[in-house]
Amino acid sequence: MKLLRELLFPTIAVIAAFLVGALLILAIGDSPVQAYKLLIGSALSWPDGIGYTLFYATPLIFTGLAVLVAFRCGLLNIGAEGQLYVAAFAAAWVGITFANRSAWILLPLCFLAPILAGGLWGAIPGVLKARFGSHEVINTIMLNFIAVALVSYFTQYHYRTPGDPIMETSEIGGGAHIARLGKFIPGMPERIPLNLAFILALVCCVLVYLFLWRTKWGYELRATGSNPSAAEYGGISIRKQIIVAMTISGALAGMVGINEVLGYRYRYYDGFSDNYGYTGIAVALLGRNHPVGVVLAALLFGVLQRGGIHVDGFSEHVTKDIVQVLQGIIILFVACEAFFRGSFGRFGLLRRSKV
Amino acid sequence: MKLAFWSALVVLCLLAVFGAACNRANYAADDKSKVHVGIVFDIGGKDDRSFNAAAFAGVKCAETGKSPDGTSCGKPALNVLVRDIEPGNPTSIEPAMRAFAERGYDLIIGVGFAQAPIMEQVAKEYPNIHFAIVDGVSNLPNVASLVFKEHEGSYLVGMLAAQASRTGTIGFLGGMDIGLIHRFEGGYEEGAKAVNPNIRIIQNYVGVTDSAWNNPGKGKELSLAQIGKGADVIFTAAGNSGLGAFDAVEQAGMQNGRATHFVIGVDSNQNMVKPGFVLTSMVKRVDNAVYAIVQDVVNHNFQAGFHVYGLDKDGVGYAVDDYNKSLLSPEMIKRVEEARSKIIAGQIKVTDKMLN
Repeated sequence: MKLLRELLFPTIAVIAAFLVGALLILAIGDSPVQAYKLLIGSALSWPDGIGYTLFYATPLIFTGLAVLVAFRCGLLNIGAEGQLYVAAFAAAWVGITFANRSAWILLPLCFLAPILAGGLWGAIPGVLKARFGSHEVINTIMLNFIAVALVSYFTQYHYRTPGDPIMETSEIGGGAHIARLGKFIPGMPERIPLNLAFILALVCCVLVYLFLWRTKWGYELRATGSNPSAAEYGGISIRKQIIVAMTISGALAGMVGINEVLGYRYRYYDGFSDNYGYTGIAVALLGRNHPVGVVLAALLFGVLQRGGIHVDGFSEHVTKDIVQVLQGIIILFVACEAFFRGSFGRFGLLRRSKV
Repeated sequence: MKLAFWSALVVLCLLAVFGAACNRANYAADDKSKVHVGIVFDIGGKDDRSFNAAAFAGVKCAETGKSPDGTSCGKPALNVLVRDIEPGNPTSIEPAMRAFAERGYDLIIGVGFAQAPIMEQVAKEYPNIHFAIVDGVSNLPNVASLVFKEHEGSYLVGMLAAQASRTGTIGFLGGMDIGLIHRFEGGYEEGAKAVNPNIRIIQNYVGVTDSAWNNPGKGKELSLAQIGKGADVIFTAAGNSGLGAFDAVEQAGMQNGRATHFVIGVDSNQNMVKPGFVLTSMVKRVDNAVYAIVQDVVNHNFQAGFHVYGLDKDGVGYAVDDYNKSLLSPEMIKRVEEARSKIIAGQIKVTDKMLN
């Protein structure tokens, strides 16, 4: 029952957004039924639709989890974007530098590099906040710009194949490629970039859940988030919690690099991220800062991204911006939750459960 | 908890059934008698008023015989149906191309060199579909590479710049520091030196990442710096960032009703952006190239490989219209036209700095 109640509100928000979106599509002069058929039909078709939907959802699960962990500690990590850029480049750098080693050495190195790099990049604002009290929102945003500029510089001047007009590094060693799921699933061609990182994302969800709700460290972290003064009184070092939370958050965001570099392009490609870091905030918000919710929200956003292309191409007037409109309305509805809870609350329908 | 589990399961099943039902449903009812053309734009999107917009104008002209603004484009409408996708991010380019390919489109056009490797992958799997890549190169037997001799057009505007300059110093403002833009710069430099061997050319690039195409503020600062060093004509090849140079020359002002500093536009005709301050524009007729390839497919005349658009096929050139007529003297035009015929005849060879 508790889970149902948690799911109820985001579901209402999604349905309401689709209804408002339908009105907009009508106003533009297309049939909402046709447009939504295109949107959902193309996103759930086999194998391309489902493959790409899950592939698009993968980075959003990681960044959603990253935002979630920081949020549970009372921090807003806007820096997932920068963390995943640094991490993806780190993965590519290790993959290129040690390209000739055997897969047994190369793969673990390439696997750890983005996690460490993302964690380090996330720890910077954590340390700044813990040591000097400077606000993590400002610092993470500014570090995003630094991260993007830094990796662009290295890509452009040091790691690009000479003569390649595209801003990308050369390819990483073959040993570091991780398998695409098409290898294991009959009927799914291997060209679909859905890879083992998706499984890793699901594993991370379980781990984050266990860590936050089943361990002492997770308890300390959440205690800091819900009431820092009380937590400190209880003997928890808030400074340590802030740094730990930001490091874990950054490491989770960094795992996007595994999906992108080890599983998809096998190189660092400048501008690869479609605002994954920022969309992660929306995913965490819609997922009610719970790992299960994050997975569901990421899947929904994956559906929208996959379907958006087809709506753009094969409807008469609707463009892919309808996806952004839908996302925006969903967030709007979720964000004014308190307002709705007030009026629905008296029926006991949407009473906030204690998570 | 049990209830939650079962209801979640039911919802998932319903979704799956709905998805499967949608999957079988017809997509937009397309007219089978027409040739189907799908175009996938660059990250900039079809309304960038420059490169993508020109490609869009080309396919619109082929579909309706009209430019996107409703005026006639001067060519007949062909019997085609055009669908376009703006992927918006690099991950969506491949699914966009596949969406057209799966539906059996006759011609799929990719805009921008960044799409070339992706198009090669898709084109290999669909050998019976025609592909065309604008600005990119591929050797596959079903891909046409539409490339332009930007250096030839740049040579001509370089000559104009050198003739219009009173200070003996001119500027070049590039967008992203890549080979394609070096091609503009190289031609411009050679053209200017052909008129005045002692001319000084100042060059700056806005940046090294994709954002370099979309930073008019920095474009303006760089242009003002060039003006400070004495440049009085600035050629931009910087996409949206180039608009900053237009602001910079306007800020430099006028004397006796004539602008003291000029800018040269790029890709589309940008003469009307700041009338009186734009000496000319180096136009790249992506629309002509796209129209021609659509026409080839309609006439069952498609040829893979290079389709090179230079001065000879009106693929590149400089724009003269009511906005800049008074800025170009007949002697200037005469000299440039001579060079133009010499380039077409092969008597002048303009170096392609992208290859060197």
